[in-house]
Amino acid sequence: MKSPVYGLLLLLALMLPPISNLLESIMITHMHMQMPLLVVSGLFMAKFFQNRFPEFFSKWNENGVPGLLLFSIIMMYWSLPRTMDEALTLTSVEVFKFISLPFLAGVPLRDSWPKLNSFWKHALIIFFTILFLALGWLYIWSPVQLCNNYLVIEQITLGWGFISTAFAMVVYLIYSYFMDFSKYE
Amino acid sequence: METVIKQSGKTQVFKDKANKIMGISLEDAKLTKSYLSVAFLAILLGGILGLLQGLNRAGMLELPAWLNYYQVLTAHGLLLVVVLSAFFTIGYFYAGLSHTLGGLLPKVRKMAWVGFWMKIFGFVLAVIPILMNEASVMYTFYPPMAASPIFYIGLVFIVLGVWMCAFGAFINVASWRKRNPGQHIPILSFFATGVFVLLFFGSIPVAIEVFTIIPWAFGWVETINVMVARTLFWAFGHTLVNIWYLTAVSAWYVIVPKVIGGRRWNDLLTRIVVIALVIMNITGGFHHQIIDPGISEPVKYMHVFMSLAIGFPSLMTAYAMFAVFERTARRKGGKGIVGWYKKLPWGDVRFLAPFIAMAAFIPAGAGGIAQTTNQLNQVVHNTMWVVGHFHLTLGMSVVMTFFGLSYWLIPYVSKRVLTPQINKLGVIQTIIWTLGMIIMSGAMHWVGLLGSPRRTSYSTYFDNATALSWDPYLFFLAIGGTLLMIGVLMQVYAVFYLMFFAPKGNTEFPIAEVEEDEAPTPRWTERWGLWVVCMIVLVGMAYVIPLVDFIVNAPPGSPPFKTW
Ligand code: HEM
Ligand SMILES: [Cu+2]
Repeated sequence: MKSPVYGLLLLLALMLPPISNLLESIMITHMHMQMPLLVVSGLFMAKFFQNRFPEFFSKWNENGVPGLLLFSIIMMYWSLPRTMDEALTLTSVEVFKFISLPFLAGVPLRDSWPKLNSFWKHALIIFFTILFLALGWLYIWSPVQLCNNYLVIEQITLGWGFISTAFAMVVYLIYSYFMDFSKYE
Repeated sequence: METVIKQSGKTQVFKDKANKIMGISLEDAKLTKSYLSVAFLAILLGGILGLLQGLNRAGMLELPAWLNYYQVLTAHGLLLVVVLSAFFTIGYFYAGLSHTLGGLLPKVRKMAWVGFWMKIFGFVLAVIPILMNEASVMYTFYPPMAASPIFYIGLVFIVLGVWMCAFGAFINVASWRKRNPGQHIPILSFFATGVFVLLFFGSIPVAIEVFTIIPWAFGWVETINVMVARTLFWAFGHTLVNIWYLTAVSAWYVIVPKVIGGRRWNDLLTRIVVIALVIMNITGGFHHQIIDPGISEPVKYMHVFMSLAIGFPSLMTAYAMFAVFERTARRKGGKGIVGWYKKLPWGDVRFLAPFIAMAAFIPAGAGGIAQTTNQLNQVVHNTMWVVGHFHLTLGMSVVMTFFGLSYWLIPYVSKRVLTPQINKLGVIQTIIWTLGMIIMSGAMHWVGLLGSPRRTSYSTYFDNATALSWDPYLFFLAIGGTLLMIGVLMQVYAVFYLMFFAPKGNTEFPIAEVEEDEAPTPRWTERWGLWVVCMIVLVGMAYVIPLVDFIVNAPPGSPPFKTW
């Protein structure tokens, strides 16, 4: 049972002021590096909670869909320009970021994923592809500066980051659409 | 955990038998023979041009006005980095696909032929302006230097030809997987898949670059964004270098252990090395731009890290190779801490050449790690050091592996055998080539540290004292180059002798087996789609920040220049 320890270490490392300051100083590393890593730390730590509270997970997340919804809501919340800005100015929001992403997004995702059938898995990826395209469009072509803390050029960079991630997901979807793995097994 | 699959099934056994009895089909053999012939003709021509350059740099030869240094240099680079490497890689892997997948599909063979002629056509188009002194832009062809548009149109055909071969390989592998459900792609075809994935994705950036250059070279648009073009070029150029490296590595992992009568390294770890190299490769391109203006320090810092990451699978490879050598030699009764090396077949060129190639990668890799560091790069950037470096990596590690392969691959496709005389010729050739490269590249490294620039024809800079101090080293460069020319002639002779005149017979395609007690390889290694997605994500991480910066904060673009 090492993985929860690694997860916790990752979370603690991300909380260290020099690291969090560095990652938050650039808009795209804030959203596309720090936040996903927080989720990853939660993925690692999930085993601990699953072992500790098995009934809780089987009762509330029986088919995986509630966990998926919680994950999606938390992720959407943190994709908004305003929440990123607030995380930098309000300590309470910053604390919420470090709690919500690992424990309310990472942990439920890990618990839900194996329970989901391929319809929900693909639905999730499709949903995030569309969301990322929309966000990319918003950040690139927004006529105004969306965050007080970040310049317009950083905003455009983040937008292209969203578009390229969406592109990777599209490639994956096409691949899994055309590849019928059962044929190879 | 994931379920695992058996290493070999009935089809495998049947196919192995068929292959042993009949060898490669005549049509597949013809394809590989054509590709390899072009590759070795390219080395012949390229070698002659290399010698001309070496003699010129030593001040011993003045090139005539109708064939100046930069024309020669452009052709040398293009012949050796593009033609030799691409044609050898494709010829070798197509033979490997044919052998391990039970023959090429007719459709795929046709695609490879179309690709062949597209590349030849493209190459001819590119060479014409070089000969007319309309395209002395070196093989890197960066703006703001502009060649005749014909040159770039030629490049487009070369890229399209390569794509044909890449898709042919994908189709063949996919069809094999459908016919052999539940089995792993045979290891050599796994390497081939990795190489063709990289060839395809790595050449997308350069295709974009060329499509923006063509209207500019025609004068339809006035300016071009130089930083974007350079960045797109190196995303490709760097990947290309690693494609040949991966090709050589495939031979080290799969072929060499069989040649020395051993078994290959752990199958899972081998596949992980391939996957890691495929995912992490393209982003290394930035280490060619450490001196470029317009890239911020943090981005450069990030790329130092990304470049060094590629060193990791290389170190795994070094470890694996020596482990295989030691294990094999000990099984043959080798003793002592280092005494086992005596049990290796040193007199067999099929082992000796790739072995020296691997050994050369130790200093070559060390030099590469030095260069990729910001401060050290300032010292050697654009000096002869760099030329020394890639003659070690390409001219030795990769090309000598190709040479070693040719001594069985060519007999294999022409249904002939390697004679003891040609083996001996090969051993001597290997020694000459090794000496030549050590002398030439050693001199290049050293004179580079003393400041001698690369890509510059002979000049004493009005008898400047520093420039004159380079002369002794440049003289050594010429001596090494002469030895290499002798090596080229011997090699080309061996190749065409083995192809057309050697005694008829059956040559085996040497593919080593895994150790008997090895755990089966997990199935996740087969998820190529996932590796490609990881690669795209990593490319996004590396390129989004700088490219947006280059484009949004672009200075006025550059008009075309003809500097020669
Ligand atoms: C007979 C053997 C060879 C000789 C004598 C030779 C010599 C040279 C010399 C003198 C240069 C020019 C340095 C400069 O002015 O910048 C050069 C450049 C180069 N060589 Fe070789 N070389 C040989 C073989 C090879 C091989 C086998 C390869 C690769 C597979 C290779 C790849 C290159 C490349 C890529 C360049 C750089 C071209 C450029 O800067 O645009 N050479 N070579
Ligand atoms: Cu490179």
